[in-house]
This record gives sequence, C-alpha cells and structure tokens, in this order.
Amino acid sequence: MKRTLMTLGLALAAGLAGAQSNILQLPLINDPILNPLIAPDLGSILVNKVLFPGLVRPDENLQPVPDLAKSWTVTNGGLVYTFALRDDVRWHDGKPFTADDVVYTFKTAADPKSGSRLASDFSSIKSVEARGKYTVRFTLSRPFAPFLILLGHNAGILPKHLLEGKDLSSNTAFNRQLPIGTGPFKVSRVVPGASVTLEANKDYYGAAPKLAGITFKVVPDLNTQVAQLRSGQLDWVTLEPSNLASVQNVPNIAIKQANAVQHYLVFFNLKNPLFTAPKVREAMQYAVNRKAIIDGILKGYADYPTGTIPTALRTYYDKSIKPITYNPAQALKLLAQAGWKPNARGTLVNAKGEPFKFTLIVDKGNATREQSALAVQQDLKKIGMDVTLQTLEFGTLVRDYLIPGKYDANLIWWTTPPDPDQYSFYATGQDNNEASWSNARADSLLKRGRETVDPVARKNIYNAYQRLTMQDPPVLVLYYPKELQAISKDLTGVPDLGIRDALRYTERFQLR
Amino acid sequence: MLSPGYVARRVLHALVVLAVVAVVTFFIVRLAPGGPAALADPALRDAERAVIEARLGLNDPLPVQFLKFVGNAVRGDLGQSFLFGTPTTQVIASRLGNTLILAGAALTLTLLVAVPLGTLSGLRPHSWLDRLVSFISVVVLAVPVFWLGLILIIALAVLRPVLPAGGMYTTGMEGNLVDLLRHLLLPAVVLASASIAELLRYTRSSVRSAAKLDHVRTARAKGLPQRTVHVRHVLKNALIPVVTVIGLQLPRLVGGAAVTETIFAWPGMGRLSVEAALGRDYPLILGVTLVVAAAVVLFNLLIDLVYPLIDPRIRTDG
Repeated sequence: MKRTLMTLGLALAAGLAGAQSNILQLPLINDPILNPLIAPDLGSILVNKVLFPGLVRPDENLQPVPDLAKSWTVTNGGLVYTFALRDDVRWHDGKPFTADDVVYTFKTAADPKSGSRLASDFSSIKSVEARGKYTVRFTLSRPFAPFLILLGHNAGILPKHLLEGKDLSSNTAFNRQLPIGTGPFKVSRVVPGASVTLEANKDYYGAAPKLAGITFKVVPDLNTQVAQLRSGQLDWVTLEPSNLASVQNVPNIAIKQANAVQHYLVFFNLKNPLFTAPKVREAMQYAVNRKAIIDGILKGYADYPTGTIPTALRTYYDKSIKPITYNPAQALKLLAQAGWKPNARGTLVNAKGEPFKFTLIVDKGNATREQSALAVQQDLKKIGMDVTLQTLEFGTLVRDYLIPGKYDANLIWWTTPPDPDQYSFYATGQDNNEASWSNARADSLLKRGRETVDPVARKNIYNAYQRLTMQDPPVLVLYYPKELQAISKDLTGVPDLGIRDALRYTERFQLR
Repeated sequence: MLSPGYVARRVLHALVVLAVVAVVTFFIVRLAPGGPAALADPALRDAERAVIEARLGLNDPLPVQFLKFVGNAVRGDLGQSFLFGTPTTQVIASRLGNTLILAGAALTLTLLVAVPLGTLSGLRPHSWLDRLVSFISVVVLAVPVFWLGLILIIALAVLRPVLPAGGMYTTGMEGNLVDLLRHLLLPAVVLASASIAELLRYTRSSVRSAAKLDHVRTARAKGLPQRTVHVRHVLKNALIPVVTVIGLQLPRLVGGAAVTETIFAWPGMGRLSVEAALGRDYPLILGVTLVVAAAVVLFNLLIDLVYPLIDPRIRTDG
C-alpha cells in the first residue's frame, strides 16, 4: 500500500514534464465560434485570425499589406477594386483556393440574412465577381475609403466547397469542431469547454510556421490565467491594469503595451433636455478629471483624449489640437452660460430651481469601468450635479437601457476597425449613435471622410471633425486605453500590434 | 419493501415536479432583464438584431414560444443552445461526465475524512482531537471557496510548481489517468473542504447525542465491549442525520460547483450553468435546470430507500 502511494505521488509530481514543447498556449474565456463571419466576440476573433487569413492583413502601422491577395488596383475613382490572388494556396483539407471562394465569402458576408455580422462593413459592395481563377473584382455602389482596412480586419476567407448553400449559424460541424481555413495552423482537436488545439499547416503558402502548434485553452478566470502564465501553462495573457502587480518583476514575464483602436466614453442621452446644450457637454470635459482616471485607475496605460478618434490611428489623429484639461471653474462658467448656477447649498439648478440630476449606468464586474464611473460621479458631484450611479449586468444595460434609449448617461466603450470612419457611430440617425447626437457639419464631414480615397484630403477632413467635436462633443471621451499584455519571454517573433492583429502573424512566432 | 404502488407514486411525483420546474423556468428566464448574449452587443445594427432574434425564435409571442417548447420537449428535444449552436442535450452530455469526476472525487474525499473524524470527535468530546478538528472546520467554513482555490494555486502551482494551475488535462494528454489525477487533486480538495467541515460537524453532534441515549447506557452496563457499543449502538443511530446531509450534497454531482470549476478552469456543469445564465441561453438554462431537478428527485428517492436499511422503524410503504 505504502509503495503504491509513493509511486502515485512520484507519478503526480513528475507529470509536469509531460507538457509538449514548442506549442504556444493562449487563453480564451469561452468556447470560440470558428467562423469569422458570425463570431464577433474577441476570443473567437483571436482563433479565427490564425485559421482564416483575409485578402490583406494590417502591418505594424495598421495599413493593409498583401495576404491572400498578391496585389490590387483601385480604379474608377475608388469604385472598382481588382485583386490578383495567390495561386499557391490550399485549404486545410487540400482543395485549392480560388477566386470563387472569395466571391462566396463576400456575397455571404454582405448579406445580413445569412447571419453575417460583417454585413454593415461590406454594405458598399454592389457586386463581386471572379475574373478568371485568380482574379476578383469588387464594384462598390459608392466610394468607400475604409474598404481595404476592413478586408484585413475580420474578413477571413471561407471555403465555398464546404459551406455553399448551408446555413452559417447552424453549421456546427464546421463552426465548432472542424473549421477549414488557409492559415499557418489548422485545427486538430476541439475539447468543448476546455481547449482548441491547432497544429502547424505544412502546406501554408507563406513562410513555414516555426511553432509545432498552438493551443487555445478555456480559462474563464483572469486570476487563474495569470497563475497559469506564471507556472508556464500559458504564454500570453491580456490584462486589466488591476492585475499588473501580479506579473510585475516576475523573471520570465515581459509586460508590453499595444495600441488599441478603442475609445472609452460616457454617453449623455440627448433625448434628455439636460444634455442638449453643447455648452453643458463641453463643460463635462472640464469637470471630469480624466488625467486622474488614467493615472489612478488605468495605472497610466491609456492616452489622454481629444475627441472620438483614438491616438492609435496615427495617420489621422491630429496631435496639434490642444486637449481640454481638468478645470472645474471653467466647467462652472460654461454651465452658468447654459443656465445652470449653483444655489446656496452648492447644487446646480436652472432658472426654475430644478437640480441637475441624472443617473449614470455602467456594467457590473469590470473593476476598471466601475471605478471610472465612480470617479466621473464624484467629479460631477463636486461641481454640484446630483449623479446617481447604477451598475447593471452588461447584457441588461445594452438591451434594456442603451438600445431603447432609456437612460440618462452610460459609461461604455467602442472598439472600431483601424480606420477613422465613425459614420455609423456619430452621424445623425445611425444605429450606433446611441446618444442621438446630431450635428449637420459633422454629418457632412463623416460622409465625405468615408468617401474620400485621397489620404491627405481624408486626414484634413478627420482633423476638422476632431476639432469640431471639442466644441460640440457627441460624448464625453474618457481615455484611449492601451492593450496590456503579459508575455512569456520565451516567445519571440511577435509584431508590435494588438493581440488580435498580431495573431495573423503566428507563422513568425517562436518559442525558445 | 418496494411495493409497485410506492414506485408508481414516486415516479408520477417526479414527473409532476419536472413539469412544474420546466414551466416555471421557461417563464422566469424570459422575464429576467437583459437577453441572449448574441443580442448584448451595442455595435449591432437594428437589421442584424432582427435577424438574430428570428434565428433564436424570439420574435414569436411568448405563448407561441411556450407551445413550441412544450411540443418539442415532449419529444425529448430541448432545443439548440444559443451559445453553442448545438443541441442542449449534447452540450450537457459533454460536461456531465467531467462534473461527475470532480464532484465524485470531492464526495469520496468528504466521506473518507468527515465521517471517521466526526465520529471520533463525537465519541471523545472536548479532547484535543475534537478541539483541533472543530477549530479547523470552523476556519474552513469561514474561508470563501475562490480564495482558498487561488491560494492553493499560488502555493502549489506557482510558488512550488508541483501541480497544474487548472484545466482537466494537459493538452495532448487527454484520457491519461495520472494527468487527470494531477489536475483533479486541487479542485477536489477545495470542493470537498467546505462539505467536509459541514458533514463533520453534523456527524460529531449526531454521534454525541446518540452516545447519550438510554439504550447505549444499558449496552455499556451489560458490559459489552467498547467497540461493539460504538459501532452497533451509537454509530447506527447517529447515521440517519448524516445520510440526510449526504443526500443534500448529492445533487452537486450533476449540478457542479460554479466557483470551483471557474477558478480551476474545469469544464463542468457548474461553469456551464453560469455561462448559460449570464449569456441568457434560454434552452441551456432550462436543460441544466431539468437535469439538476431530475437528479434531486432521484437522489431523494435513493436516500428514502436507504433509511429503512439503517433504521427498520422507517418504512417506505407507509
């Protein structure tokens, strides 16, 4: 008995060496959907970036470079895009990749009835046709400048021979068990609730992958992810600033920050008369101490905002615009001009004596956002606004409050493609313009911005838009966060990009 | 002992319970604020939202949805999970075995530790052993599970890396028994810790009161050996409440333990039910609830059948 126990103990302790080497281990928080057209959550996007290359991919400046397409031309004033495809690409099942696959993918992607989540990205496509086996021509209904960027964002190409005529969402054999892409790694095994295992694709068209494989492991708890990173069971974890302390000064872990094309913001519902005056929203920018939020809550891992176009869009962001800094006196001055003055007790009231009173909602469970909302509430209280804070489950917040417009103010964030086109977020009457902001000049700038192909003219348009939003802010932008990564020092060959775009370069990754 | 009438009554009773559970759950989950995860994306355009609602069958009026559900359910079809896109029964089947392993290990550990220690404590109240055991069990009961789990991970997987920090298998070693045991040890200990403390205290007090019963004194007075008195007269009487407590813990075998499974990345039923609830996966919430309810009914029946074996005064056909 004693001997059996000892043997068992030894076996338990020794098993640690059983892990295979040269396999990259990455975390997910739940089971991914392995089809880029119908999977909008970050975890699925990460896996799909590895499995399904697109026509182009973003380089370190977030500009499109060739991927499945060798080259392209843009003609007819930005209406016609013609792509020459690689002729040496095979699907993971061995079948050749051709122009028909590209045509199938974009016809499906642009059709909202297919269940595609990319329909609005590609609604500008009038027609897409194969011109021979390795040439594809897109004709757009109007010039659409973000088109190339969007091709490299989430639009992985799907195999026509496996999916044509089938319903995208219900095809679980493909989406959950055995997806077929053209990427440097292919799925070899899926264990529901536990892992997705990828092995190197020997027939990959680009440089031969250096890793033997990649394992995506489902580890729902961020603290456990960090523990697994420290114990070598994971190689790369994206963190919240509050987790930073647990990985700092660990010998084998490097902390990196990457630009994220995100802006965190507070929506003020413009259907509520409290917020309609631009002066009131301008005052909010002086009243909230955004530097304190960035330094205190985000531990400095964010850029100070000027408008809704984040600094990550280096080509378009106008650095010369002076940011609005914390100045409660200036806020009170602007509010007084809008008719709100402090009464004897310091509460802001209008001419009728009604207080400036509203509820700020934020989603429950994310420390960074909850603390930011608290900071906003406290700062606004200091200038005499009566702000109630309410935390709600994210799904409830979106479905029951934000979408039907039943809220006063909401702290939330937008993640956008690496392009300054924000038409669907801030133009009048658009679905994602949740604050119901409306500014005729902004509408015209945003429309021209997405239709102007010339980069210099385009930059001028967005700089004008950025300047405009300083006086008539559509929302209160709080910060542009950095993506915080903790990476094993054994992992090399990773480009200087956020994790989602970096994972399109996994063939270059190497483990010591 | 098992009359056909008794069995029939219990089965009928079980079916009624399950039907009530299904109907109540069906409406409660739909009355909950929010909605399915697929609709919780603020970036969705209105047209996309409508397509998703139609696909999930949520654009029908509630009574129509209910009739469709009943129609399918009587044919054994609980619908497709919103989150996984696969049949609900299939999703549950893929997790049930994992939870049986974890909860089964925890239950075994609980019985092996709690019953002997609780008995010894009960037979020798206020001894050093009793004091030590009471102290430890109070501490364990007071400690939150997620904290204990993380501390054990930090101690035994990060600082002294002898065990893995979560998961069920090392990737590529699925099905390897030694690898499974290595992954099982920490979550099983964490899951068992609270129930050990609970069961131990029940056993102790139950043994203590049984030891004071008149017939035990009589047995001692007769000069029976200590061992016979303890086993035949004390323990047998003390077991009834203990079996009840065990019975209350049994449904965990299928329901899983959400916190432990999340901390240890264990792909079991507990984590699945949390995912289903947070993602408002209506069919999956219903499926999990039904499975757990069925288990509770079944285990209650089993416990009822065990009682007469321990205490002949209890009868099943009454």
